[in-house]
Amino acid sequence: MAQSGIPPVSSPALVPSEKPLTLVSRQTAQRRIRHLLDRVAKYVVGAGGLATIVSIMGIFVYLMWEVIPLFQPATISPELTVPVALTDTQASNRSHLMVGIDEYREVPFVLQGKHLQFFSLSDGIPMPEVGGELPVGGEPTSVIPMGLKGTTLSIGTDRGLVYPVQVLYRSDFQGDQRTIIPSVKVNDPVQVVPEGMGVRLHAHVKRGDEFQTVAALTGSGELWVTRIEEPGEFSFTDDVTVTKHRLVVPPQVHLTTLTLDSIGKRLVAGTMDGHLLAWEWQRQGFDAMPQSMAVGAAGDSVTVLSYLLGERTLVVGTRSGSVSTWVFSSGQSGGPLRKVHAFRSHARPVTNLSVSQRDKGFLTADDQGTVFLHYSTTAETILEIEGNGKAIGSLRYAPKADGAVWLGEDGTLQTYAIHNPHPEVTIQSLFFPVTYEGYDHPEMIWQSSSGSDEFESKLGLMPLMFGTLKGTIYAMILAIPLAVMGAIYTAMFMHPHLRAIVKPSLEIMAALPSVVLGFLAGLWFAPLLEKIFPAVVAIVGFLPLVIAGCCLLWQFLPIRVKRMDAYGLDLVVMMVAIVLTVAGCLMANHSIEGWLFGGNFKQWMLQNLGLTYDQRNAIVISFAMGFAVIPIIFSIAEDSIANVPRHLVAGSLALGATRWQTLTRLVLVSASPGIFSALMIGFGRAVGETMIVLMATGNTPIMDWSMFNGFRTLSANIAVEMPEAPHGGTLYRVLFLSGLILFGFTFTINTIAEMVRQRLRQKYSQF
Amino acid sequence: MAFLKRFFASGSLFIWLSGGALACSLLLIGGLLSLIFINGMGYFWPKDLVQLTLNDGTQVLGEMVDTQRIPETVTTAFPEGQTRIQLKVGNRDLYGLDFRWVDEEDIAQQTLPQDVVAFERREWGNFYGWITEVWDGDTRLAKGRDQAWNVFYPFLEQTEAIHQEIHHIERDVIGAINHDIEQARLNLKELELNGKNLSEGSAASLQEDIQTREAAYQKQTQRLVGLYEQLNRYRVTLIDVEGKEKTFPVGGIVKAWRPNQMSVWAKIWMYAENFWGVLTEEPREANTEGGIFPAIFGTVMMVLIMSIVVVPFGVLAAVYLKEYARQGLLTRLIRIAVNNLAGVPSIVFGVFGLGFFVYAVGGSIDQLFFSASLPNPTFGTGGLLWASLTLALMTVPVVIVATEEGLSAVPREYREGSLGLGATKLESLIRVVLPCAMPGILTGLILAVSRATGEVAPLMLTGVVKLAPALPVDSLFPYVHLDRKFMHLGFHIYDVGFQSPNVEAAKPMVYVTTLILVLVVLLLNMTAIALRTRMRKRYAGASV
Repeated sequence: MAQSGIPPVSSPALVPSEKPLTLVSRQTAQRRIRHLLDRVAKYVVGAGGLATIVSIMGIFVYLMWEVIPLFQPATISPELTVPVALTDTQASNRSHLMVGIDEYREVPFVLQGKHLQFFSLSDGIPMPEVGGELPVGGEPTSVIPMGLKGTTLSIGTDRGLVYPVQVLYRSDFQGDQRTIIPSVKVNDPVQVVPEGMGVRLHAHVKRGDEFQTVAALTGSGELWVTRIEEPGEFSFTDDVTVTKHRLVVPPQVHLTTLTLDSIGKRLVAGTMDGHLLAWEWQRQGFDAMPQSMAVGAAGDSVTVLSYLLGERTLVVGTRSGSVSTWVFSSGQSGGPLRKVHAFRSHARPVTNLSVSQRDKGFLTADDQGTVFLHYSTTAETILEIEGNGKAIGSLRYAPKADGAVWLGEDGTLQTYAIHNPHPEVTIQSLFFPVTYEGYDHPEMIWQSSSGSDEFESKLGLMPLMFGTLKGTIYAMILAIPLAVMGAIYTAMFMHPHLRAIVKPSLEIMAALPSVVLGFLAGLWFAPLLEKIFPAVVAIVGFLPLVIAGCCLLWQFLPIRVKRMDAYGLDLVVMMVAIVLTVAGCLMANHSIEGWLFGGNFKQWMLQNLGLTYDQRNAIVISFAMGFAVIPIIFSIAEDSIANVPRHLVAGSLALGATRWQTLTRLVLVSASPGIFSALMIGFGRAVGETMIVLMATGNTPIMDWSMFNGFRTLSANIAVEMPEAPHGGTLYRVLFLSGLILFGFTFTINTIAEMVRQRLRQKYSQF
Repeated sequence: MAFLKRFFASGSLFIWLSGGALACSLLLIGGLLSLIFINGMGYFWPKDLVQLTLNDGTQVLGEMVDTQRIPETVTTAFPEGQTRIQLKVGNRDLYGLDFRWVDEEDIAQQTLPQDVVAFERREWGNFYGWITEVWDGDTRLAKGRDQAWNVFYPFLEQTEAIHQEIHHIERDVIGAINHDIEQARLNLKELELNGKNLSEGSAASLQEDIQTREAAYQKQTQRLVGLYEQLNRYRVTLIDVEGKEKTFPVGGIVKAWRPNQMSVWAKIWMYAENFWGVLTEEPREANTEGGIFPAIFGTVMMVLIMSIVVVPFGVLAAVYLKEYARQGLLTRLIRIAVNNLAGVPSIVFGVFGLGFFVYAVGGSIDQLFFSASLPNPTFGTGGLLWASLTLALMTVPVVIVATEEGLSAVPREYREGSLGLGATKLESLIRVVLPCAMPGILTGLILAVSRATGEVAPLMLTGVVKLAPALPVDSLFPYVHLDRKFMHLGFHIYDVGFQSPNVEAAKPMVYVTTLILVLVVLLLNMTAIALRTRMRKRYAGASV
């Protein structure tokens, strides 16, 4: 082998026709080339090797790279300022003003009274061809948005009429060029208050042609409700049902704001003295008397009020500047209101509120023109835009929650771009309890998606980390005793010949694909365990006793037979005993169930322990994942025990210590760091195991230590949700974060284990 | 008493207990392997069909699958020790379910009818019953159980040939035409994107090209229609055990056999045939029947590509760490880090592969080279290449560690001898050190391959699918399609076992796949261990 490595230095000399001089120069040239090659190789190997190592390390960097945007603060940047001629002499009269914008944030509109104007943001000039004077009878006195979606609005007039108005945007594509074409449509008005009265304040919802509900407050303080229902597809009559009645407003109560839910069956009003009044729809009409609940200090007038997306949460802003969210308790209608979050206070009267159509975010503004962006789930105030001292006439959160538009009282229309891709994620919401909509108190929940757009995604990682830990611990409960004791026996008490067979055959099991274990655990073992659980309990209890009994009997055997343990006779005896015990317990499963659990263990558990039994539970995982980590722990622990220097062991035995004393007082003490690192590495493997938990747990993200329940781990969660997570979205990044957590955790554990092992190796090498 | 005291003091009890733990582990492993073996191997055996007459007169025909004690909740009325039998009754189109439990007590009579036939069908699973008539269109060719069987059997081979041809046309011929049309369309679109006039020059010829190919496509479809007609020409009338009739085209039957008449040798032959069939055929019926050839092929392809990537880089890194880098704290740290990467969960690599390879790199490649087919991703979605690269990244630490071990096993004298004779470092590396370390490198590669073969989690994110429409290698340029999605043995187990609608019927298939996967992985590992032992023995003396 070494000869083939000899470079042909002398071979040119063997060629007779070469002249000596050329020979030398040739040799030099050749040597130069060889050394050049050598040097080049050095750099190539260096570069290639380093590149490989760096690219492995790059995984960590890349994971970080994908995660960091989650925690970057939101930014807002002004886009365009357009001067708007304010027609109204009373510019501060917000009830006449309304702004809005399309979803591409290209064409905002301004409605002043009945005068509608569109602007093109590409050049900032008005678009006179659409809009203009709307065909509205009388003078508009109340202009409000209708619902959260789209750009429908509603105009109430001094003649008691309410006009639904639709501002429509059509996108026209010519090649890659997009043009937004706005248009406006005024629908038939509804007479909501008796003639002769004007609408001072109103709320209006409408769903297509199905129904509409309008609540209106007259100048004299009367509250009227009108509900119009078109005949449905399955109704017996063709008549339009119109219900119109007056609601009771308690005396001395002045309403400041009104809001309706999207089906028009719950009316909420804010009052001057800091209360909310709620009327519920009961069969034929609204309650006559409202429920009243204080939402602020006495006298702290409610100035703005709106539902958030999903209509479970109400946002309330007051004169003193406080902003808070409220829910109707336990989701039942009519329950008392409960405060969920308080947000950063404006410390000045809150004048405007605009709610996102995409998520649980909303904008509030005060009379100095300062605008806050809040997020309901996290109770965070994400952004703050300092005002210029002038109040804001109208404010609107862009349809895609990626911008805002507002009209200052000084007549400037200002649009902003908001970059806030992951509002629902904070350290708090990921790792600590959060009060989600529909929950009475803060909880840690993982529920990333649901059928509805209005769903509040719950991205608490704690249940998953809990599941990971639970699975790992249950696996270790089974694996540690079996693997470590097996390792002790193999390294200390087994004949070397036998050890040479046993060790590799156990180690090879580390390579068993985890999908195989998962399949067997989920489809074979889980249904089986459900039937034989009493027998399994009995096996676990009996096995040590049976082994001990065998050991006792073994003592009485003649020494000739005992010597056979070199050939594994004792192991064979144990195996036979184990097989017999297992078989016996399985056969007696029925009787054991009767004897231990009164005939039906599931019922027994439910009655005595209050536990329910899932088919795919932690016990199944304990076996399946224990199976996966036993070979790993066994192999490393066995190595560290076997590597305890032989002469120490021999010395101890020679001094008269028994084998057991030598083991506990000498071998285990010196091998304990190695065993520790074996456990750590086994732990690391169990933490990251994916397929077994994916297939053999129910993947329910619950936090419950019960061994009869399933759970969901970080790794299985990634496998389940990653394929559906949109690239670059919040869920995508949160899943990257859970990957990063797994990476960091296993890497740390393995590093500790590895260092312990290396130090142990050094220690042994001193002997 | 004194004996017991001495007995406890000696510690034998604890030694035995630890031995018991080892025995448990060994038994668990043994049990697991035999479970896989028995269930996997049993699948191919043509079982006898048992006809049961129940007490109430009903007839049941099927393969006996399982016997178990009746669960407590059901048996309160029965005495202790009642058993019931699970039968695979097939005939899903008639009964709705493939399996049926029969209480042993209800059985009045049990027979093995000689002339009963088992049919494996392309749809609806197996049929167990008798063949009564054979039809050619509307003319009856044969009647009676034996006569019909004899007439029917030769047709089976004919239809198999037709199936082969249909398959060939559908996949190869039409596939090629579609591929060409798609290519021409993409070229056209590219010209359009570049602002060329579509009615002249190369564009016009492309349009013409598309038209001629579409005509060819039409012709092939015509041919297919003819073949399908042939396939449905012969029909058989089958009758089940309760006398329900069912007429079926011969083309819908894959295989037919009379298990109760077969000799043991015939059964063994059929066993071998079935085994071969599973290895070489394509899956049917949502992967629960047929073979697993595409999964095997996909696994092999992925592992091959991974090996091509992982070996050079792993060896390079190991050589750098061992031979070139200055040994110190830094290399020690790097070594620890590389070592530990082998313990990082595979799903993390999957996440990385999806984010980096698929979205970042793949997305850029699409932007640069495949802009014509956007927004349909070419490389910007999971595929063979990305899965292989992800697994390569995952397994590169294994190769590095094993190669380093191999390099350290090469005695110093070899290196010194080579250098002393005047060889440069590179020369002694290539000619002396690396050849000696070859077993180490091979060990690393085999371990990497074995890990990649069994790994599923990262693949689920980077391009494995339950049913790939085409193999990643075919006769169309560029022959190896790295962007295609592929099937994989491990994922097959997960998918068929957990995502299929009829898990009970799919179980045998999962066991078979499991068996094959486990065999491959164990074989690879044993080879690696054997190699390593040889390597250690060879240099054991020399390194002193």
